[in-house]
Amino acid sequence: MTENIRINNPNVKYTDTHIEAQYCYHTSAVRRDGDTLTVTPSVSELEFRTERRVPRLGVMLVGWGGNNGTTVTAAVLANRLGLTWRTKTGEQKANYYGSLFQSSTVCLGPGPDGKEVNIPFRDLLPMVHPNDIVFDGWDISSMDLGSAMERAEVLDWSLQEKLRPHMSCLRPRASIYIPEFIAANQAGRADNILKGTMAEQVEQIRADIQDFRHSSGVEKVIVLWTANTERFCDLTAGVNDTAKNLLAAIQSGGEVSPSTLFAVASILEGCAYINGSPQNTFVPGAIELAVERNVFIAGDDFKSGQTKIKSVLVDFLISAGIKPTSIVSYNHLGNNDGMNLSAPQQFRSKEISKSNVVDDMVNSNPILYRKGEKPDHCVVIKYVPYVGDSKRAMDEYTSEIMMGGTNTIAMHNTCEDSLLASPIILDLVLLTELCQRVCVRPQGSETFQSFHSVLAILSFMCKAPLIPPGAPLVNAYFRQRACIENIMRACLGLPPQNHMHLEHKLQRGFLPRHDNRIYDNVATKMVLSTGYHASQQNGPIHNSF
Amino acid sequence: MTENIRINNPNVKYTDTHIEAQYCYHTTAVRRDGDTLTVTPSVSELEFRTERHVPRLGVMLVGWGGNNGTTVTAAVLANRLGLTWRTKTGEQKANYYGSLFQSSTVCLGAGPDGKEVNIPFRDLLPMMHPNDIVFDGWDISSMDLGSAMERAEVLDWSLQEKLRPHMSHLRPRASIYIPEFIAANQAGRADNVLKGTMAEQVEQIRADIQDFRHSSGVDKVIVLWTANTERFCDLTAGVNDTAKNLLAAIQSGGEVSPSTLFAVASILEGCAYINGSPQNTFVPGAIELAVERNVFIAGDDFKSGQTKIKSVLVDFLISAGIKPTSIVSYNHLGNNDGMNLSAPQQFRSKEISKSNVVDDMVNSNPILYHNGEKPDHCVVIKYVPYVGDSKRAMDEYTSEIMMGGTNTIAMHNTCEDSLLASPIILDLVLLTELCQRVCVRPQGSETFQSFHSVLAILSFMCKAPLVPPGAPLVNAYFRQRACIENIMRACLGLPPQNHMHLEHKLQRGFLPRHDNRIYDNVATKRVLSNGYHASQQNGVCAHVVKEATIG
Repeated sequence: MTENIRINNPNVKYTDTHIEAQYCYHTSAVRRDGDTLTVTPSVSELEFRTERRVPRLGVMLVGWGGNNGTTVTAAVLANRLGLTWRTKTGEQKANYYGSLFQSSTVCLGPGPDGKEVNIPFRDLLPMVHPNDIVFDGWDISSMDLGSAMERAEVLDWSLQEKLRPHMSCLRPRASIYIPEFIAANQAGRADNILKGTMAEQVEQIRADIQDFRHSSGVEKVIVLWTANTERFCDLTAGVNDTAKNLLAAIQSGGEVSPSTLFAVASILEGCAYINGSPQNTFVPGAIELAVERNVFIAGDDFKSGQTKIKSVLVDFLISAGIKPTSIVSYNHLGNNDGMNLSAPQQFRSKEISKSNVVDDMVNSNPILYRKGEKPDHCVVIKYVPYVGDSKRAMDEYTSEIMMGGTNTIAMHNTCEDSLLASPIILDLVLLTELCQRVCVRPQGSETFQSFHSVLAILSFMCKAPLIPPGAPLVNAYFRQRACIENIMRACLGLPPQNHMHLEHKLQRGFLPRHDNRIYDNVATKMVLSTGYHASQQNGPIHNSF
Repeated sequence: MTENIRINNPNVKYTDTHIEAQYCYHTTAVRRDGDTLTVTPSVSELEFRTERHVPRLGVMLVGWGGNNGTTVTAAVLANRLGLTWRTKTGEQKANYYGSLFQSSTVCLGAGPDGKEVNIPFRDLLPMMHPNDIVFDGWDISSMDLGSAMERAEVLDWSLQEKLRPHMSHLRPRASIYIPEFIAANQAGRADNVLKGTMAEQVEQIRADIQDFRHSSGVDKVIVLWTANTERFCDLTAGVNDTAKNLLAAIQSGGEVSPSTLFAVASILEGCAYINGSPQNTFVPGAIELAVERNVFIAGDDFKSGQTKIKSVLVDFLISAGIKPTSIVSYNHLGNNDGMNLSAPQQFRSKEISKSNVVDDMVNSNPILYHNGEKPDHCVVIKYVPYVGDSKRAMDEYTSEIMMGGTNTIAMHNTCEDSLLASPIILDLVLLTELCQRVCVRPQGSETFQSFHSVLAILSFMCKAPLVPPGAPLVNAYFRQRACIENIMRACLGLPPQNHMHLEHKLQRGFLPRHDNRIYDNVATKRVLSNGYHASQQNGVCAHVVKEATIG
């Protein structure tokens, strides 16, 4: 990864090892006195320090042999090998479409011609390239990744043929299987499971992480759960309420879910742990352990399909002053996730994860919703084997518009579960790895600090974001994206994106000439003859003509 | 309108007449040398001055008797009168749902309890309340607004009954009718048209504006076209390429569309003119005239339904790294707009207006689209009388996802054309009126200047935004909204929204204590016992979950 962005500003220093940026962070405090709101802006001066060297990254997936695990591994291999394959419509190249960092762009500012310069999101800061990730992992099914890829029925057959020699040699490590946490219908897959006490199994997971680290030569390991959705775990005082009690419960064999055991093992190994499923892996004791050990945790539940669009559409409607009154989401899918979710307790975890996604937007608008009022919200998930990984999401949004009118949006979304989740898995680990190289020193403080152990910046990729206590919960898609972009810009000393284009909105330009941009007064014939309108200049490009 | 926001900052001064804010505007300039991009940030110090006194506003609608004209007038009356009416599901109150300023909120910051404080968008700065708008207008149909409201078939009958006494005495002024610009099927409505030469008709429109201003006592008039979509006008050197030629063409009777005649009359009267339809009202000569006279113009075409969602969804997809490859939009509607659009030339105007809405987003992502590549994009509009004002939009978005996969979104949207457009009409005039009270002085400059005559900040409400030359064209919904919010915040000296919540993202808080917010370290049992998760704290409120729990 070479850096190709250079900030030309005395507030930003490039040392051999770090990018050091002085940054003014603006907040405002609001006080209400009767009808009057007093807004007090304040500025905090922060120093951001980002390590420039990108380490060799290993990622261990829990559920490596599942549809997500095989698809993300295959995608990275295919991209690394530069594979192409034939489909009936032509040759297809490996790509990372659907990845925020690899396939979306951010605007840096205007170039000398006045046009906006957009760069890949990943180029903002030195980041690991997904091609360089080394994968390993666990699965309760012993099937090798070549066969598991075939079982998943996700990738084109001609691609599978090219990948099989590279995938078949990969075998998941034995995993933790506690039958009561996942659906009974998973028992048939469970032929690759650890034996022994809970404590022994945690020790084995830790040994696996150490073994992977040493044998692969990676410098850093991140562990990510993309295995079955578990039932929710009861929060019980004395069992999982503190780090100490949780560790004791593991020793004594209390109620601890497999995912929490993986999280504990990772945290004890100093490895960030990300939960891609909806269950409450992060019981209070697990969070406390992560905070004590200064290890990042993040979750929950990949936001990939229906919920992602919901966090766009509902934000759009409410931000336009339109009042969603009923949101009904039907899903059917036929992969192993769907089979597991067909059991009531596992569905319940998913339902909880999906149900709160509109709360922040609803609560932000007291004009449309009185206190405590919410839209009706109903989520149904059905297991329909035939559709396989090609998940269907059918949503109906009914909204109240002006003067009692109704706006009804019905949407049918064919989601391709694993192809949408895999790039999100990559985004999660790449952003986590980056965050491990960023630290911040507030003015007046002697020491740098890293991000909070609960890595809320990953909210963008999560259906039910885990956040530090007291932090605002944001589900709105574009706000979450702006958060990532603006924090990465801060690492370069660049202020937040403002979208204002003020230099084009006044009668006369005000920017200095030396930046090569030219802001002429308007009423010149040269300009007028070309017209002011994009549509007039470009003409329509429709196929329908 | 009372101000209830007070900025506590030495950079913001409240005088008797103005809010004066010192503002640092951040930009960057990017230069490419080989593979390296050099980014040079810079700061411009600007002084924003916003007049606090809100004038009495009159709005003149071209096409006052149409579905939008009657609906927006009825909505303002019903809100002003505080009307309620029965529907089969209960009592309904008048409201302004769908209005950015009246019904959406912006976040001001954190309150003493740490929770975000959200206020109505309209409260950010002193703005007109829509209840105080006085309406007038023109229409080629002479029908009074009470009967026109009935003809529109938009509002509930019980509401119409309550409004009729207030609407029936409102009669549109005679309008300009040049048959070749709109569909032949509109001829039957045209019983209220001006006679005389083009120049005489423009003089009559000017006289109408003056008459309205004097008789109603409003301080300020804004003119807005919500009439029929016209065919596109040819851009012809010597006719409409300069202000002088355009004025001469009006005198000599050249090809000038009715909407351009209205625009010219408004500009000559010093009234801002907004074009809510897709045609190219703003020929170069009209724009030059507006710039010369320092009058605001804005357009084109209300962004209310299908295109609005498109500017959200395509932005979402591309910003998520997903590649839309085919966008197909079928519409049918049965109101008079649909009837007019059933003629090929008028449809063509609409089609052009709708076709470019994804260009800015596509061009912003050279990873997904190589230079010049665009998704297939097809728009069909059909006239189906039965559905009336209840416009249907059926869209299919096909996108390429990872490794050659396909994501297909099919959407059926029942749009209620005039109920969605009316609050946008209000937002357009209210924001235009506000912009007339804002001026900016860059540091080092002696004088304040107002916004550019081409009022690009109104892009949010327009399908095909008109922008000053060289300005980037933005169709992406959330970027447009952020633009309005951040410029209004600038008028209060407040920096742009950053959505970062950094004070909650580090291991230890860093904000000063005196702002009443408390940032504890995390690992305390009190906090842990509540759990970290919204879902655990709040419980599940979905109906289906309640049933599941009971069952």
